Amino acid sequence: MPMWIKQSLRLFRHELKRGELTIICFAIVLAVATVFSLSGFSQQIKSALVNESNSFIASDRVLQSSRPANENILIKAQQSNLQNVQMLLFSSMAFAQDEMQLVSVKAVQNGYPLRGELLIESDNGPVAMSAPSEGSVWVEQSLLNKLKVNLGDSIELGAANLKIAGIVNKEPDASFSVFTQGPRVFLNFNDIEQTKVVQPGSRLTYRYLFAGDKADIDDFDLWLTPQVEENQRWYDIKSQQSPLANALKRAESFLSLASMLGILLAAVAVSVASKRYGQRHQPMVAVFKAMGASKSYIRNLYLLHWASLSTFSIIIGLFVGFVMQYYALQYMTSYIPTNVQSSYWYPLTVAITTGLLCACAFAYAPLKELVATPVLSVIRGFNGFTSQARWQSVIPAISAVFLLLLLFSQNIILSVVLLLSTAVVVAILVVFGRLLISLGRQIGSGAGQSLHLAVANLKRRAKQNNVQLVSFTIAIMLLLLMLVVRTDLIDEWQEQLPENAPNQFLVNINESQVPKVEEFLQANDLFASQLYPIIRGRLTAINDEKLLKKASKEQEDKSDNGRQGIGRELNMTWQQQLPDENVIVAGQWFSSEGKKAEVSIESKLAERLNVVVGDELAFQIGSEKVRVPVTSIREVNWKSMQPNFYMIFSDGVLTDFPVTYIASMHVPSVSKQDFQQFLSVYPTISVIDVDAMISQLRTVIDQVSIAIEFILLLVVVAGSLVLVAQVQASMEERERELAILRTLGAKGSLLRNSTLLEFVVLGAISGLLASMAMEIAVFFIQLKVFEMATSFHGFYWFVGIGVGALFVGSVGFMSCWRLLKLSSLTLIRRTL
Amino acid sequence: MNTSPEIILDCRELTKTVVTGSGKSGAKPLTILQPIDLQVKSGESVAIIGASGSGKTTLLSILAGLDLPSSGEIYLKRKPMHTFDEEQRSKVRADHVGFIFQSFLLISSLTALENVMLPAELANDDNAKEQAMVMLEKVGLGDRVDHFPSQLSGGEQQRVAIARAFVSKPDILFADEPTGNLDSKTGEYISTLLFDLNQQQGTTLVLVTHDQKLALRCQRQLTMESGRFINQQVMAEVS
Repeated sequence: MPMWIKQSLRLFRHELKRGELTIICFAIVLAVATVFSLSGFSQQIKSALVNESNSFIASDRVLQSSRPANENILIKAQQSNLQNVQMLLFSSMAFAQDEMQLVSVKAVQNGYPLRGELLIESDNGPVAMSAPSEGSVWVEQSLLNKLKVNLGDSIELGAANLKIAGIVNKEPDASFSVFTQGPRVFLNFNDIEQTKVVQPGSRLTYRYLFAGDKADIDDFDLWLTPQVEENQRWYDIKSQQSPLANALKRAESFLSLASMLGILLAAVAVSVASKRYGQRHQPMVAVFKAMGASKSYIRNLYLLHWASLSTFSIIIGLFVGFVMQYYALQYMTSYIPTNVQSSYWYPLTVAITTGLLCACAFAYAPLKELVATPVLSVIRGFNGFTSQARWQSVIPAISAVFLLLLLFSQNIILSVVLLLSTAVVVAILVVFGRLLISLGRQIGSGAGQSLHLAVANLKRRAKQNNVQLVSFTIAIMLLLLMLVVRTDLIDEWQEQLPENAPNQFLVNINESQVPKVEEFLQANDLFASQLYPIIRGRLTAINDEKLLKKASKEQEDKSDNGRQGIGRELNMTWQQQLPDENVIVAGQWFSSEGKKAEVSIESKLAERLNVVVGDELAFQIGSEKVRVPVTSIREVNWKSMQPNFYMIFSDGVLTDFPVTYIASMHVPSVSKQDFQQFLSVYPTISVIDVDAMISQLRTVIDQVSIAIEFILLLVVVAGSLVLVAQVQASMEERERELAILRTLGAKGSLLRNSTLLEFVVLGAISGLLASMAMEIAVFFIQLKVFEMATSFHGFYWFVGIGVGALFVGSVGFMSCWRLLKLSSLTLIRRTL
Repeated sequence: MNTSPEIILDCRELTKTVVTGSGKSGAKPLTILQPIDLQVKSGESVAIIGASGSGKTTLLSILAGLDLPSSGEIYLKRKPMHTFDEEQRSKVRADHVGFIFQSFLLISSLTALENVMLPAELANDDNAKEQAMVMLEKVGLGDRVDHFPSQLSGGEQQRVAIARAFVSKPDILFADEPTGNLDSKTGEYISTLLFDLNQQQGTTLVLVTHDQKLALRCQRQLTMESGRFINQQVMAEVS
């Protein structure tokens, strides 16, 4: 075995045992463990969130079509190991003796739903079921009231006579549209023919549900997406325009962001520690060289040394990451459904890549400088690394960090924003840091002895301090960034879902029932929206251009809940006041005087139909025609849990037409029974329960919040490690200085205070700079990543400065404590 | 026949000039060594003494092949070191040179034994360990072989350094203030050890020191001032 291998391994073994490699190993372990646990953890949280949320579309993906889909698609799905079921949705009249009611029929195959549960009432409470047996139907309770029938009676649907075999308690993929057409009826898919409702020209919606492993689904998605026709829509839960989809998307982005911050910090720790590693080995290299070791011998020796160290750390990191992930997930089991499939390949690959990237990119420059240590140092002494190779060390490091961020998040915008803001920080830091330190010196000269000495120390070590300042600032900035973004995000969610967010919608309230509803709301002190009058009508023309063609195309290619309205009857209302969550973007809201006929149109619809203020819209309402000018265009917050409208008319235009009312309200669980009782008195009022969706949203928020606590912990550990690594790097110089000051007769208390103050001042400056940098980063993240309103965070500036002073002060002071405790004689002996 | 000993180190007109300062004041050349001639015979011990800044450490660096002269020639074991690059000089150092430093420069992560083994290992000596053990016994540290430098006193560390310097039986040993970091009693002990071993092994010794007492133990003393020798004293003829 070549001698360099022997010597390298011996050196590694001893250094490891003696704890001389602790910081660098810990830094790599942390980077690997962070990436391993976070990628595994957030991947599992994400998939748990999505899995759970997928119950809202009863599957992982849906193909919706107005015509039967090509057989090939189903064959391919089977080949791809995907489960699939078909559904057919249509509206039809249901008859029972003399009563009739328009119902929404959902004909489902056995196996439905692929995700979530269809709950049917039974004597023992709700039971999860699939499809009704042939010849029978399951219906909503309200249909029994409307048709005056009971469980076990029959209803006619088209040409079929079907027995009511169950009452639907919860439908996973129920529409949350408040304008659904009648109560739900579940029918067996095989009974469709029997009903004879499927005729040429019938308005039918075919839905094909698919579920399976993520990889299989993704492959299928790649195959199917290019083939999706104009009359089809291929979607998953996230492409739905719902508050839940929105929360999910942000939760995912946030998890990525938070994890990336952790990784960034761990990378900074590796960078600082590897530089220290290089500097610490300089005397060894010089001695080796003096004894005649060639450059290639030393290079081989240290490459092996570094490789051993990296391999060792990566293995430990993987182990630690695994344990961390295991316990984090154990802790989360009460929040995450147990059917989460865990795969370790992805986190394993990402973590190993991270370890290798960190090991190679950050070690390149220090190792290069180390091998180049001049042999003359054995005589002349060691002055640390020269900074000639600055770019050589910066470029691979920046590339590595960017690769890491990209690899982990697969989100270019997020990676660029993070990297750029960090780069900007570094650039302004160098300038500001010096400015502040020299400012501090002026202040310091008028202050007490300790502060004076502390500031003088800072100034004298300006170059090293710049490096420390940058690391501290980045650490604090990342911590702040996470705190701020987390708070902002959760606040926004909470705002979206206040305690009294509406959870029930009442539809089809007729004019005579309005006072009763209002009375009930008042008696029970329920928080409710106002009652909106509803008139159904069809938009027939814009100015004099008939809309038939335009509208029917819209209807075919866009089947979002929102967009379906156009092309057939719209639900329209009239109002004197602009409703909450509506903002006028063009024109003016109706003037309060006079009863001029006007209409306000929702901005996206206006854009799609190319309608501007001043255009005249023609509506067909019943047998009447109404023409009104558009006087305003509104932006509507569709995420708000309240009735929203495409068209709002001015007061008086629609008052002569038959009208029903709609309202949204928050019914707390204690009032649920009274609410049910009230509804049973008015069976014609339909109720839409969105509690399920709200509780789902809360679950998303809770899960993400807990994940964040875990990540925050990692970020704090990484931040502390950066600090300790930095302080360690300056330890030898501090030791020398302390020895000199002690020799010159400086008191222990003066040295302790000045050391503490030096770190406190450095921490406070870092905190200030970090706050500035955080504000810039948050601005871009809010704007570009979360697409939410930007805001200023004054409070966190104080937190930043305070935490910086406290954190850097205490960690720095504690690291130096050992030195400060040494007697003068020991100090002098050690350093001279 | 009386054969005179081989000249192991031969310097002719050695000079060293460095450029100091930059920026506004401009670069200024500073002469550290004036032209110097020096011959050291095999087995001879030579002390170079002088005040701080006299150039003695610079001279030692060049003599030991750690640095190159600005001009002049230097032959170590007849090898033209002034024409060699770093790698070639490394080879010469590995084959012929031993070092003792003022600050010991032991590798803190290696035990006393492993520190002593280093030069022998670098010279691919199969018996590195045995030889290192013998040397540590000789310097009186046979019972401390597994101790790390931090567990040894200054004097003990320098004894390890001496063992390390002698283990590969170098032809010439360079010592830079070998007692500079030690108290006088320990220094005395170390210098005795150094000269005893030197005598036993017949090694050529070139040492740089402030310590007159230590210098006087050498056969020849060269005093430096402003980069040149100002006098030479020969204590004894090398037989």
